[in-house]
Amino acid sequence: MSENDPVRPGEQWFFYWKTSAALWESKIKQFAPSEIIFIPLYWGLHADQGQWDFGQIQPEKDLKRLTSLLTQHGRKFCWLMPLTPAPFLPNGGVPAPTARNLSLSNNGVSLASLDNENKLHKMYSFFDPKIFKAFSSFLDGFGSFVAENKIKAPIWGVQFSYFEKAERVSFFKDSSMVFEQGFSRYLKKSFPDGVQLTQPNEEGKLKEQFFDEVQGLFISMARETLSPFWIGEKMITVLGSGPQETIERSLPSGKSQLKFFKDIFTLYSHNHFFSSVLLNNAEKSQLISTFLPEHFGNEDIEHRYHYQVYPGELDQKFRPFSLVDIFGTDVKLFKENGLLPTLKKALPWTYQVQETLDFSPEGIESGQERVKFFHAAKMDRTRFSQMLKLFLMGQKIVFDKTGLHPDLEKRLQIFFLENNLKLQSIKYLINLQVCELGEGLLICMEGEALKDQPDRKKFWDHIFNFLKIQHPSLVMDDDVFCLWRIRSTAPTELNYLDVRRINLYNPTSYKKQVLVHTQKHFAFLKMIDPLKATAKSTTEGVEVELLPNGKIALDFGHYEERK
Amino acid sequence: MNGLTLLYNFQSPQTTEGDFRPASYKVIYFFSDQGLIEQSTLRELCKSVPDANYNDLTFLNLEDLRVFALRVSQETESSEVRLMSVLDYNIGLDGSRDRDGFLSILSKFGELLTNVQAKKKGFLGKLFN
Repeated sequence: MSENDPVRPGEQWFFYWKTSAALWESKIKQFAPSEIIFIPLYWGLHADQGQWDFGQIQPEKDLKRLTSLLTQHGRKFCWLMPLTPAPFLPNGGVPAPTARNLSLSNNGVSLASLDNENKLHKMYSFFDPKIFKAFSSFLDGFGSFVAENKIKAPIWGVQFSYFEKAERVSFFKDSSMVFEQGFSRYLKKSFPDGVQLTQPNEEGKLKEQFFDEVQGLFISMARETLSPFWIGEKMITVLGSGPQETIERSLPSGKSQLKFFKDIFTLYSHNHFFSSVLLNNAEKSQLISTFLPEHFGNEDIEHRYHYQVYPGELDQKFRPFSLVDIFGTDVKLFKENGLLPTLKKALPWTYQVQETLDFSPEGIESGQERVKFFHAAKMDRTRFSQMLKLFLMGQKIVFDKTGLHPDLEKRLQIFFLENNLKLQSIKYLINLQVCELGEGLLICMEGEALKDQPDRKKFWDHIFNFLKIQHPSLVMDDDVFCLWRIRSTAPTELNYLDVRRINLYNPTSYKKQVLVHTQKHFAFLKMIDPLKATAKSTTEGVEVELLPNGKIALDFGHYEERK
Repeated sequence: MNGLTLLYNFQSPQTTEGDFRPASYKVIYFFSDQGLIEQSTLRELCKSVPDANYNDLTFLNLEDLRVFALRVSQETESSEVRLMSVLDYNIGLDGSRDRDGFLSILSKFGELLTNVQAKKKGFLGKLFN
């Protein structure tokens, strides 16, 4: 990653408008030849008095020359088409004549972001009909341009978001007058005879509906117009882009590294993609500058865009490792039943909350080893069937049935009968039903009963034991962060099932201690690249001391317990 | 800590049950040069203002908001606190192009309140500490 270059600000992005066209070639050459180059489209830049200039008028907009240079140097590249205001683009990307109505957060604060050169970019409402018209016209123009010039590079649609108060908020969201006016027109059109909003929150629901429909319109229009090259859509959370962060980052103290770490790890644990393109030199100067390329560099990026797929079986290269996938419409429910607090304490950052279930053969294979926790609240038939199919395929499933729809409850009972499954009833704090089929294991429970249960941590510890989740446990402060990776064993390590590496980071200004308990299944192998850190082996595992901005990696061999 | 800034919004919110609550002044962000002030600290200090909702950090009138702002400035030993509505903030932001311009909003707009106690304490503090 090139953290200090405003033209290549990170994540292999190339900001062609930030440098003279004469320098494009030298900048392109600075990317590693194997890296895919992502080119965000600054679509507003190409507006030129009622037409779209892709180089016919100004050389700085000559995308044909840009693509020729990329091809000439054998670089793979793709376009990123913003589907929302983009916080790193002037005016959020929209053409200057359409930048009239500022977008507002739900608190009424105008949305604006500081970029890596301390320039302030203001976001304008995508609910403004003028922006919609311009966006539609740009898509037509760009579609014709790539078709005429036979540029076959893939195009990703990107929805940008910010992260505030532990929530990801799309830059499409807007509470300005323009949104309200659009909503009023929507109501008139949808309810020509008028509508009485008598039920509580009815207006809020209709606003959500209006928001979804308009956003859907932008996405479907881009998808259809650019269909031969369209690959799909991604949501990218841009670090430092939220209204609160703009204030924090502008202050002399800036936003602390610790806060950025917290944001990054929360996003990571929700499998959300993020970008560091807005962060300036100072913000990327400390631990973050080594941490980001170590875990979210080239390989991670290309996996996320599906240019690389991890094979089902482990190989000699370390890959990201997590033990648990959590599926549910509301994460709060997993906090209430105690699962998330227990995981956070004993196995920090080894779980991912998933919004979608990748049911492709590759997705199923790559997630085969991870235990899957489902919650029945608002579960639909598709998700329910997929969950049962995963069990039939030999996966381990824990199903919190609280709030299960009666129809699905009937289907579950039929499933047990049809497959002649023997249910084992267990009572430990709450009632559990357990059934096994080959490698598959399904545990059904009513997790609501755990809500006020003081011993629920013990309950989950027993469940983890029962599920044979074998992993070193950690005792560490909340402000220390870690990520695990895994690889298969080398011929010289035949005694081990696999090798697991933990990277520990201390982004605070205090000394921190970490204890890694190896349990009965792990042997400490070695430490790697300690920076302001020490580690010593003890009978229980490894004791680590991390100074401020310290980091270290430790390798552990995983073996079967000898009986 | 020298100066504080409180960004607030005037609102007439609806509860999740659909009832309208009385119009109020809501604290959006409260910060100093050192960064944002912790929500837990603000909630605790908000309890000293009668009729204020300390969970939401909302106040029934502007005077209560001023009392709260001064209470925080006393607690943090800040010499002054600037109350800025989001309307003023948004106007200032609209005219800013970079970080410096943006920062100048925070020293130009809004109503500046002086923490008299801090000034006195500062003077006495020099004598006694």
